[in-house]
Amino acid sequence: MNKVSITLFVLAILVILSALTAITFGPADIDASQLLDCLVGTCQNQIANVVIWQVRIPRVLVALVAGMGLAIAGAILQNTTRNPLADPYLFGIVSGAGLGATIANISLADNLTVALPLAAFLGALFSVIIVVFIAKVLQRMEQLLLAGVAVSFMLASITQFILYFGEPFATNRVIFWLMGSLARVEMSNFYVIASVLIVAIVTVIALHRQIDALLLGDESAASLGVNVDKLRLLMLGICAALTATIVAYCGGIGFVGLMIPHIVRQLIGVTTLKLIIGSAFVGAIFLIWVDVIARSSLPHAEIPVGIITSALGSIFFLFIMYRTRAIT
Amino acid sequence: MSTLLKISSLSWIVPNKIILHNINFNVNKGEVIGIIGPNGAGKTSLLRCLTNQANMLASKNVSGSVQLKNRHITQYNAKEIAQHFALVMQKNDSIFALSVQDVMKMGLLPHKTLFSIDSDHDKAQISLALKKVGLEHALHNLFNQLSGGEQQRVLIARALVQASQILILDEPTNHLDVYYQHQVLQLVNKLNITVIMTVHDLNLASLYCQRLLLLNQGELICDGSPKEVLAPKQLSQVFGLPCKQSIDTITGAIQVSFYLNEIDTQNNYFLESLGE
Repeated sequence: MNKVSITLFVLAILVILSALTAITFGPADIDASQLLDCLVGTCQNQIANVVIWQVRIPRVLVALVAGMGLAIAGAILQNTTRNPLADPYLFGIVSGAGLGATIANISLADNLTVALPLAAFLGALFSVIIVVFIAKVLQRMEQLLLAGVAVSFMLASITQFILYFGEPFATNRVIFWLMGSLARVEMSNFYVIASVLIVAIVTVIALHRQIDALLLGDESAASLGVNVDKLRLLMLGICAALTATIVAYCGGIGFVGLMIPHIVRQLIGVTTLKLIIGSAFVGAIFLIWVDVIARSSLPHAEIPVGIITSALGSIFFLFIMYRTRAIT
Repeated sequence: MSTLLKISSLSWIVPNKIILHNINFNVNKGEVIGIIGPNGAGKTSLLRCLTNQANMLASKNVSGSVQLKNRHITQYNAKEIAQHFALVMQKNDSIFALSVQDVMKMGLLPHKTLFSIDSDHDKAQISLALKKVGLEHALHNLFNQLSGGEQQRVLIARALVQASQILILDEPTNHLDVYYQHQVLQLVNKLNITVIMTVHDLNLASLYCQRLLLLNQGELICDGSPKEVLAPKQLSQVFGLPCKQSIDTITGAIQVSFYLNEIDTQNNYFLESLGE
């Protein structure tokens, strides 16, 4: 086995270990032997059984797939746009989801469990469609990111306008939702995110050579037989669907898509296949542990995960800037 | 000699500008052809038409035809075109830390299906190609850290992995110093495949190409051996400078020298008088 395979193997083991360890964290007092009993289905304590199967396992599993999904979406966007700062959040996906969630909160407050994720998903797709449309009109894919930033601010201002004149309770709900949290996730959320994730991973693995060809420029890729615009649109669509699904259930969790691929590039390599698999593993480990911190660092309270990822992300960003300064 | 490419009445006209006008020529198997001409003569545009980049031959601005092996190039799909043409562009850099191996693997793309992984045969092809360009030791080096000449050689090696019959190079010696200019062109010459390239330096073109195409303002002025195409009268008209032809005593190749015309000499005199 070469170095890359060994690293990936170790990461895969770490994902499994992280997930298992994360189940042991939580306010309810459940020791390791009880946990093991509940996992294999011979649990005597009914309360422990319910806590583990209906609270902790869904939460850890959603953290696992959401971390994978956000990291992969970032990696795909960065490789297809050749921009290491590309991130699903810069394409206005979260602002769009925020607008959708706001409208759902204000107008459909009775049936939020279904309406909120659905509205957030539609809002996120809506923003991506606008961004792509603008880039198409400008005929410049390099400006996709700038278009995304502009659309992001526009949608955020509409959201804030609605919230400012909206009912205070609804406003509070939206603001907490935007901070990102895994506190209310269910097993069904895991199945939905995992299905989208599998479609995304299979597509990217199928097309990994095409995406790699983009790394030396559009002209080079075209000369190797790649339909550059089509490929980029397909990949953007996949990232949008992936991020929108995750944001719909978990709210805004920033910086994962930016930070994780960056680490994986240093660790494993820059070509798509390695980057995607590595990002999936590192993203999963990262979000599982951030969620553990979120639910166990304060007594009787939770910190929204989005706050922690943003804090870590910004520090990480400054660290990268400092390091590149030291090299050049 | 078998004809690989047949270009007939090719024109590319956009409003207010003629990019290419009524170009006709054939490319035979194994030829090394240099396209020369002043800036804006249409050299790179011609290359783009030959490979039907962005399906431009289907555009309403382009008329005429390009036939590859007696079939219209528009009938080939992108993958088939990539199997016939390998392209080495002027500028290639990546913001990401691609290794030479990563760049070489791109050359496999036209021969791969979805989901496919690299076989031992692919790896052998890659090392063989790198050996041909003298960079077998550089497999794991970072592409961005290579010199300009080495990068060009890696891209030529990538073209070999691509196993195309025709190698297209756009200004392969741009930004290279004298040593690498000769090294890259010598390499291209030794590969024994059909080569079509644009070259700025007329003396390099004369030394390394069997056949030259002289373009000016979108028209093909002359098509022939370096001796015919580099005729002083013709070059003076195209480049607007007096010109002399000679034979290089060492290589035996046709060489041309341009010199400044009357007005410039007067300017020199003027400058000298200022210095007094």
